[in-house]
This record gives sequence, structure tokens and C-alpha cells, in this order.
Amino acid sequence: MANSIRIDGLCAGYGSVQVLERISLSVNDGETVALLGTNGNGKSTLMKCVMGIVPPGAGRIEAVIDGVPYDLVGRATEEIVGLGIALVPEGRRLFPRLSVEENLQLGAYRRAARAALARNLAFCFEAFPKLIERRKQLAGSLSGGEQQMLTLARALMTAPKILLIDEPSVGLSPLLVIHTIDKIRELKQRYGLTVLMAEQNFNQAIRIADRGYVIVHGRIEFEGRSRDDLSNNELVHKLYMGL
Amino acid sequence: MDSTTALFANAIVAGLLLGGFYAAMSVGVSISFGMLDVVNIAHPAFILLGSYIAYTMNDRLGLDPIAVSVVLSPLFFVLGAGLYRVYYLCFEQRGQESLRGLAFFFGILFITEVMLVLVFGVDYRMSKTAYADTTWRLDALDFPMRLVVPFLVSMLMVVGLQLFLSHTFFGRAVLAVAQDPLALRLMGVNPIRVKERAFALSIATAGVAGAFLIVIQPVQPAIGREYIGLVFAVCVLGGMGSIWGTLLGAFVLGLAESFTSTFFGPSWAPAVSFGLLLATLAFRPAGLLGR
Repeated sequence: MANSIRIDGLCAGYGSVQVLERISLSVNDGETVALLGTNGNGKSTLMKCVMGIVPPGAGRIEAVIDGVPYDLVGRATEEIVGLGIALVPEGRRLFPRLSVEENLQLGAYRRAARAALARNLAFCFEAFPKLIERRKQLAGSLSGGEQQMLTLARALMTAPKILLIDEPSVGLSPLLVIHTIDKIRELKQRYGLTVLMAEQNFNQAIRIADRGYVIVHGRIEFEGRSRDDLSNNELVHKLYMGL
Repeated sequence: MDSTTALFANAIVAGLLLGGFYAAMSVGVSISFGMLDVVNIAHPAFILLGSYIAYTMNDRLGLDPIAVSVVLSPLFFVLGAGLYRVYYLCFEQRGQESLRGLAFFFGILFITEVMLVLVFGVDYRMSKTAYADTTWRLDALDFPMRLVVPFLVSMLMVVGLQLFLSHTFFGRAVLAVAQDPLALRLMGVNPIRVKERAFALSIATAGVAGAFLIVIQPVQPAIGREYIGLVFAVCVLGGMGSIWGTLLGAFVLGLAESFTSTFFGPSWAPAVSFGLLLATLAFRPAGLLGR
């Protein structure tokens, strides 16, 4: 069944500071869409708007889950998660004084996820063998790379249909970034997820993205309809390669 | 058994029984203060409220105080939920929980105390139960029933709470809620509802502990204040946010007080308890079983 997101004319900000200006974008069923942009351009704010953490000033955010359309504006975060949309937040936001296993079990809090708990837990441990070694260890004591894996795994435990990922590469070594991006691709294929990923590491993001948007100062400055379209664009060259 | 050994063994028994009672008084604070970051210094006021409700039912209808408190615990649960709502709307939501929230609970403590004085007066009240004057004797060991019954019910309550919190989705959410409420929302959980129910649970335990108190000793409205230090000491000693820790901390303090009273005199007991607390803070600030 189809799962997609459509954002139309979205404006948002904090107090008098306008961060997003009339953003329109869409993520179609089964796609991986990259939201590219350097720091401070509004990528995280956009993710937060979709999740109901930051209320939009104007615009529409609609999601289709299993073929049923939902208006996301005005819904509480937990309600949006309950529909089947998960966010892997920036800065990981694990529960540092809970064990790896407890973090994962909390991921399966919502009713639909509880039924799939055993299966999803087994898959998470298979996909991230490090986590099974450390299952009794406190999440706060994991290394940065392990924490990123746990954050991804915990989001999957909510059994989402649509996965939003906010800057998975932050604070990771280049090798770990490659590993993380590979994992995202693997998870996406395995679960048939629809993915929107905010990322500033252009070269890594484009490895798994079907297409993407470039966001500059809160506006969509370029829409790349394919991977090639993105890599050959002048704006992308200017922003990412200093050309 | 010679007399010193008997004295020693009886001090252990009394300390453990007392510890069981302290655990019941502190487990609620272990939840509200240790897990939810709600500094509910009014907890002893709800213990006293529980004492007086149990006393009234015992005095008027001759019902067993502890049985009454267990039956009426849903009432305390609702009271706790309402109190948390007010606290959340007036303070936590606005980010003013630290100082103003503390003042709020301080106010609740005094209002409850004054209310109890107005209704019941300042005289000491005591409950009458069939087992209050019975003492089991095993060789030279004394098991006073007025301590044994609260001890047993307390163990049921504390162990039950620990199992509930460590084996349910709700329990894990309670452990997580103070660490990162937004992350909890991202798991599809409403953190305010989790805090409300967990806080309500903590107040429900206070009601039951109040019945224990009036079975164990005579009660007057102002003695709640004497227990503020004790319940927080037990929580910190045991380790914040750990129910097993609270149980251990309660036994350690119970034993310490019992030994001090037996061998050095009762007036030294509080000094030893708080000495232990200071030593814990200095050498193991996370508490005995803290994470």
C-alpha cells in the first residue's frame, strides 16, 4: 500500500525569525529523497514541522499511510508517530541511562509495534550485531557510531512506514558515515520504507537517494529529479564543492 | 543465646522490620523525585493524610487500617493525578518547576498539615488492631506484629512496583521520561500522561504507607515533617530512580537506626542515618544501586 508525504507552501519559524519560506516538496511511495543543505538552512526545522514538534505558520503537510490520507498539521507528535511516521532525530536523543535493550523496547511502545516486537528486535540485532553484544550496557556509554546505529534501530522498532532521518552523518568518522548510509539503504529495502533524509554530506547522501532537493536559507532552490540531475547541478557544485 | 547475642539479633530483626516500613514511605519519592524529577516534598503530607483516613475508618467502623488503605488507594491515585495536572499546568509547562514547583509542594505540605490539625486536632491518634499487641517469639527473637504486618504488605507493594516498572512498556517509559521527554514522544508516547500516572502511583503508595505509620506508632499532624529528611535520605542512599536501591537504602537506614538505638540510645539514631547519607554523597554520589 502507498506511503507518501506531500508538503505544500510550508512556512515556519521561531518567534520573529522565519526559518522556512513556502517550502513545497514530496516524497513518493518507496522513494529515498535527500534534503540537502548546509547548517542553518532549515532542514531540521522542516523535519520537526512534519513530526509536529514545531508548529507551522502556514502551509499543508499531508501524509498517505497505507493508502489513507492524513493531514499532519495540528496533530501531536505521538499521534504522528502512531500513524507510522518515525524520525531519527539530530543529536540522537537516546535515553542515556537506559540499556541498549530498554531503548529498543521503548521504540516498540505503540500498539502496532508491540505485536512486531520480537521480530523487529531480532532483525535489529541481526542488522547491528554490535548492539547484541552491548544489549545490557547503558546507551550513554556507547561510542558515537554505536549510538547512531542504536538510534536507527530504535526508530525501526516503532515499525514505521515513513522514515525521516535528520543528519545521520553528524559526528561520525568518514568510514562510519559510509557504513551508516549503507545501513539506511539496507533497512529501507528490507522494510519497503519511504525515506526522507536531511544531510549535508552530499556525496554520501546521493549514493542512496533517488532524487533530492537543495534547501538554501529556508527555500527550495533546486529540485533534482534524479541522482544525475543532482550531481550535475551548478548550485550543488557551488555549495558542496566550492566550484 | 546469651543476652548480648540476643540483643544483637533483635536489633537486626527490628532494623529489617523498620527498613521495610521506610521502604514503603520512600518508594513513592523514589518514583516522583528519582524517576520523574518532580521534587515532591509534600509526600509525607499524603502519608499523614493516609494515616488519618485509615484512623477514621478504624475508629468509626472498626476496619483494619491497612486493608482500608489498600482499598482506598485508587482514591489517592486520582488525587495524585489531579495534583500533577495542576503542577504541570502551573509550573512544569512554563519551565518554572525548579524553585516555584518546590514552593508549591512546600505549600501543599503545610496546607495539608493545617487541614489535619483543624479536623483532628493536635492530639496523638492511634489505631486499634487485633494484632497490635501481639508479639511472636522465636527463641529470644521478638517479632512484634504491629511491625511485621506492615513489613509484609510493604514488601508486596515495593516488589510489585519494581516488577511492574521493569517489565512493562509503561514502566520503561517512566524510567525514560525525565531523561528526554521529546525522544519519548518520538516513540509515540505522551510524556505528560506517563508522568501523571506515575506520579499518581507514587501518591497511592503514600496512602498505604500512612496506614502502616498509624499501625506502628501514634500520629499527630506535624510529624510528617520529621519524615521529609528520612524519605529523601533513603532515595539518595539507595540510588536515584532505582526501586531495589530504595529498598536497600531503607534496610540500611533501618538497621543503622536500630543498632544505634539499641547500643547508644535512640537520640543518636538520626545522626547516624544522616551521617550515612553524607558518607554516601561523598564516596558514592550515585547511591548504592544508582545507574
